[in-house]
Amino acid sequence: MPMADESDPRVEPMKEQEGFAIIPDRWKVDFLASMGELSRFYIELKENARLMGTRCPQCGSLYFWPRSWCHDCYVDCDWVEMQPRGSITVFSRVEISLSDMRRDVPFFQGGVQLEGARYPVIAILKTTDPAALKAGMPVRAEFLPPGERTGRPRDFYFVPDE
Amino acid sequence: MNRVAVIGAGNTAFKARHIDKTFPRLAYEAVKACLQDAGAEHDDVESAVYGIYNDFFERCAMPDQHVHYLLGLARKPAVRVTNGGATGGYAVRAAYAEVAAGLHDVVLVVGVEKVADLANVFEMIKSIAFAADPFFEAHYHGSPAGSYGGAILWHMENYGTTEEDMARVVVKNKGNARNNPDAQSPMELSVADVMGSPKVIHPIKILDHCLSSEGAAAVLLASEEAAARFKREPVWITGIGASTESGRQAERDNVGQSLFPAVRASAERAYAMAGVSDPAAAISVAEIYDAFSGVEICLYEEFGFCGWGEGASFLRDGRADMGGSNPVNPSGGLIGGEHAIGATGVYQVAEVVRQMRGEAGARQVHGADTGIAQSMGGARGAYSVTVVLEG
Repeated sequence: MPMADESDPRVEPMKEQEGFAIIPDRWKVDFLASMGELSRFYIELKENARLMGTRCPQCGSLYFWPRSWCHDCYVDCDWVEMQPRGSITVFSRVEISLSDMRRDVPFFQGGVQLEGARYPVIAILKTTDPAALKAGMPVRAEFLPPGERTGRPRDFYFVPDE
Repeated sequence: MNRVAVIGAGNTAFKARHIDKTFPRLAYEAVKACLQDAGAEHDDVESAVYGIYNDFFERCAMPDQHVHYLLGLARKPAVRVTNGGATGGYAVRAAYAEVAAGLHDVVLVVGVEKVADLANVFEMIKSIAFAADPFFEAHYHGSPAGSYGGAILWHMENYGTTEEDMARVVVKNKGNARNNPDAQSPMELSVADVMGSPKVIHPIKILDHCLSSEGAAAVLLASEEAAARFKREPVWITGIGASTESGRQAERDNVGQSLFPAVRASAERAYAMAGVSDPAAAISVAEIYDAFSGVEICLYEEFGFCGWGEGASFLRDGRADMGGSNPVNPSGGLIGGEHAIGATGVYQVAEVVRQMRGEAGARQVHGADTGIAQSMGGARGAYSVTVVLEG
């Protein structure tokens, strides 16, 4: 077990507030999480800037985000490369963010349905003309440069497809 | 199935922080009030169900075991339910099932939540956001406001609902809370006050938000035979419906005009069980999940109090007000009353029980004989439970 560092609240002394004892504490848990049967999505995204979805061989549903089996037909899906184009289903301007995304506020986030996909996905929208954004607007995916991609979904975002 | 009665109800006051009480203590105070209300002792409890939502809030991954033991219920069965904002509703349903099936005759439901032990609001929202799909959506750090905001925007664009309408819900619910001595946020506000509060994510402003509360609520359920042993007139659970949807906020099948399909399905199931065919005529009081002001407008439609797209006019006509045809959230709801998440669904049932008994004081809906309590949780109301209660 590594020793707690100096900033670790778990070694700070108790504080008192209104006569009650306040014990500083922290839960910190690290993961090395396997993406398992979904791995190809992350690998293709990072290595080749490709958006991978899956298709049900029985009902033809096209899933993006990919899922490895169809929840209607209960059969395994096949990997397919998605066209990096779709349309906005809904969007809003985010004014407050509590994650690392706070450095980007205000930013636009919304739903984007890729061409042929059964469901929309949550997505970052980037535009030089915010007033022109509207539901139904065609968008295309852009990718961070290879050196900046980490294999996570935010390696891509959508821009108006003009 | 056995008929199931609510024979006791109790809760703590709700506050932003109970600095003087731990979560087991909050639970104990609600349980003690509930048992006193029922004329029961803790030895009468055969089994318990705990609605405790978030491990981070309690700083414990099995908070229920510490509560259950300290309530003097060791060696009796216990189970914890955690379903986001629907935690309390699903806890009531789990207890209902134990009684209805004949497994136990007297079952205690306890909802309890701390939240302000988290160091600040950032840590609180972060703890909630850990519910997101860890493979894809979690990377976008969505918030509850973002998840519900999309549905509200759709309602505005398609039905002409306005931000002023949303503000009217806030004025109503914070105003109703003035009649509730246990409420966290009674306020006399104008529509302009709400419109002037800072925006979080369009169209949601700070005052459109539900509260973040600490507190606890408990109800005691009993079979018809067991209920006769206790002093209170039973209030019957005549319908209980639960449903679910995708846990991803952007992913919904098209199921007609419902913006909250899990809510609609839970309502239809509960109404069918209770024999409610005309909800606008039958439901005299509703405690439903106003996570955000605009959501309450959508819920008028999901519960059949009015037609699709008529939620805003239902509100503007005063039909959801005290004295209206279907008063909604006399307690103040989640915006004015409380939102101690795991406790909320239990507290709503306790409130409707008081309404059925005619014991709701200044917030009493006169002549109330059938009420609903509904809670939902997960991304954009992915889990929902509707309970129909009759006096």
